[in-house]
Amino acid sequence: MKLSPEFLEKLAGAAIAEGLADAVYTKVPTPIGTLLVATTEKGVCRVSFEDEREDRVLAEMALVLGPRVLASDKALRDVRDAFEAYFEEGPHTFDLPVDLSLVHSPFRKKVLQRLRKVRSGTVVTYGGLAEKAGNPRAARAAGTACATNPVPLIVPCHRVVPSSGGVGSYGLGGPRVKQLLLDLEGAKVAPR
Amino acid sequence: MGVMTNLPPFWTLVEQHGDELLGHARRLSGDDAEDVLQDSLLKALRYYDRLERADHLRAWLYRVVTTTAFDHTAARQRRPKPVERVPEKHTTDGVYDGAFDALIELVSEQARIALSLRFVEDLSYDEIARRLGCSNEAARQRVSSAVRSLRRRIDETVA
Repeated sequence: MKLSPEFLEKLAGAAIAEGLADAVYTKVPTPIGTLLVATTEKGVCRVSFEDEREDRVLAEMALVLGPRVLASDKALRDVRDAFEAYFEEGPHTFDLPVDLSLVHSPFRKKVLQRLRKVRSGTVVTYGGLAEKAGNPRAARAAGTACATNPVPLIVPCHRVVPSSGGVGSYGLGGPRVKQLLLDLEGAKVAPR
Repeated sequence: MGVMTNLPPFWTLVEQHGDELLGHARRLSGDDAEDVLQDSLLKALRYYDRLERADHLRAWLYRVVTTTAFDHTAARQRRPKPVERVPEKHTTDGVYDGAFDALIELVSEQARIALSLRFVEDLSYDEIARRLGCSNEAARQRVSSAVRSLRRRIDETVA
């Protein structure tokens, strides 16, 4: 006896309508792999890539946001559409609301808030981003904020590059994926 | 919030135990199993973030399904014929109203023990057999005759 997808959607829908969800997630197939995208009432709180362990991603959400973590494709249709549009319609900046509750340090939060304003097709250096966040000498801390960004793509850490040239490192599938995203957005990056 | 208790994500529990819980609901409620399980899991979710312990969650879910199944059966039996007028009444939706305990009062003590070992403590037939000091086969018979006798008593009570 197996639970059907309809059964699970119905359950998630009823729970969400009753305000019983701390977070809701969905899995979105994209050209860079299947992403797990999670939202709270405030906005998107997590985007994770296939190479992150799903049980750890969900456990962290349960710990920080609350244990009532549910899955629903239907409830997150807007989010799914936004990801589909990003990969299919070219240069694009997500205008989905974001919830940075999974970011624990105030400076990292500030860095990510400033990073949201870096538009598709452009890049910024780690030092430049640190400066925007109010501390020009904190390039390394800005790098950490990007490396631990819980909502990649939506907060575009792929648009942050080293001042020495090249695309630098990237959590979601490595530099190859970072280059692919920048190409998709038409951004020019100085060679190393 | 479950920050202190470190509860697993609710959906992980649903994915791990959902299929067997549906089987459990089917044994208790037959064709109503999916409705019973929907109600049970919603009910569980209403309490989930206030649970103080993160262990025995599977047994807890089985208990919620069991009480919900008995509540459903009782509610179905109480349902009036369509022509009768029903007075407005608040339901205690989501709150366990003790219906299961009240129901099992209806059967003999021996049947009560068999029912709670199987559906409240959620033991396997081997474990029940060990507790009752009988064979696995005899344990199955006791539980199924207890369920039959409970069904009969419910029918009589409501009729």
